[in-house]
Amino acid sequence: MIPADAERSLEGWDPGAVDGPDLAYVIERAFDYRGDVTLVQRDGREIVGYLFNRNTDVRDPFVQVFERDGGALLTIPYARIASIRFTGRDTAAGNSYAAWLRSREARATPPASGV
Amino acid sequence: MSVPVSQMWTVATYVLRQKLQGRRRYPLVLMLEPLFRCNLACAGCGKIQYPAHILKKHLSVEQCLAAVEECGAPMVSIPGGEPLMYPDIGRLVKELVARRKYVYLCTNAILLKEKLEAGLFAPSKYLSFSVHMDGLQPEHDEAVCRDGVFDAAVEGIREALRRGFRVTTNTTLFDGASPMRMQMFFDEMMDLGVEGMMLSPGYSYSKAPDQEHFLRRQKTNELFSKMLSNPKRRWKFNQSPLFLQFLMGKHDFECTPWGNPTYNLFGWQRPCYLLQEGYAASFRELMETTRWEHYGHKSGNEKCKDCMVHCGYEPTAVNHAFSSWKGLKATVAATVTGKL
Repeated sequence: MIPADAERSLEGWDPGAVDGPDLAYVIERAFDYRGDVTLVQRDGREIVGYLFNRNTDVRDPFVQVFERDGGALLTIPYARIASIRFTGRDTAAGNSYAAWLRSREARATPPASGV
Repeated sequence: MSVPVSQMWTVATYVLRQKLQGRRRYPLVLMLEPLFRCNLACAGCGKIQYPAHILKKHLSVEQCLAAVEECGAPMVSIPGGEPLMYPDIGRLVKELVARRKYVYLCTNAILLKEKLEAGLFAPSKYLSFSVHMDGLQPEHDEAVCRDGVFDAAVEGIREALRRGFRVTTNTTLFDGASPMRMQMFFDEMMDLGVEGMMLSPGYSYSKAPDQEHFLRRQKTNELFSKMLSNPKRRWKFNQSPLFLQFLMGKHDFECTPWGNPTYNLFGWQRPCYLLQEGYAASFRELMETTRWEHYGHKSGNEKCKDCMVHCGYEPTAVNHAFSSWKGLKATVAATVTGKL
């Protein structure tokens, strides 16, 4: 269920219904994820947005989400969460530094003649 | 060192007041991030990787001022994102200056000339443009992943100086930096006429695209020793001399993560400007509920192991200066003689 390679982007990951330690794990990964997620509640309602915070040091642990559409800040208890799908683009994925180096090299190297 | 006397006095009296009140943990500089949006995507930056709807958001001026009041630090640094893209930056700075906060507006300066010409800011001893400059033109343009940015920043600096503003530079150093080229850079910045320079090793943000070029502790000591062991009298640094000596390996400081607390769209960031381990709803909650013992070099936390960044260690250096005669003497000596 859980991707073995922690460095791999979680974009597109759907862990399915989770609870207990698995739910806590998925929430941690969602907190670390730099893209939107789809949070499925136990009553079936879905929330799409950016999960920016979670707190387990309180009596009723919760997550906080900025909704993608409308921008509302929502606080949702762990107890109401059935699943989280990693549906948004991972904005931290990719290799822009490598791409920059490649483009610099391409500009510095004159194209081969006669091609 | 180049920090103005009035600013030094404000900081000194503030720190002494905290000590007299017996406050073990106190903030020195509020890192106020009104937005995450930026007009650059630098290789070493982990601050801007968010979905578009988050990048479009920003704090209101009222939220910013409430955070400033709640925190109480005498200095406010406005990073981001690019603060000159914040629509209310003029009003925010004006309000902070009216509250006698020393403001460092940290900018890549691409928009600086345009905003100055639009009359957005007025010169004040409380306002300093802290321009991001990671070295001479080739090194800087490479660090920010765009050609022409160094020249635009120089143009902005010249315009700000011409209009009577305080201008400092902030430089992040990565693995592979040449001490000699950096010394040439210091000369060039002094020739430009900036008030002072701020230096720091980079931090290995887990979300930054470039993970290969961050300095480790020993390399940091070597680089800063080579760069600063014989500083020219004309080089002015707008930061604690003890912090620079720490980077050279002359002090063994521990991190003060609460020294530069960070407030942004998500709230009060735990535990520091660099790590994002959660958010508190209030400054008080941040200070009282963060497990500070889990952070810092000696904590064993992998994320803190190699960090020597200014936001954690400059407050330590400042606190050290006011904690003993030895620390005060070392600070005064370096300030007066310019020797590190």
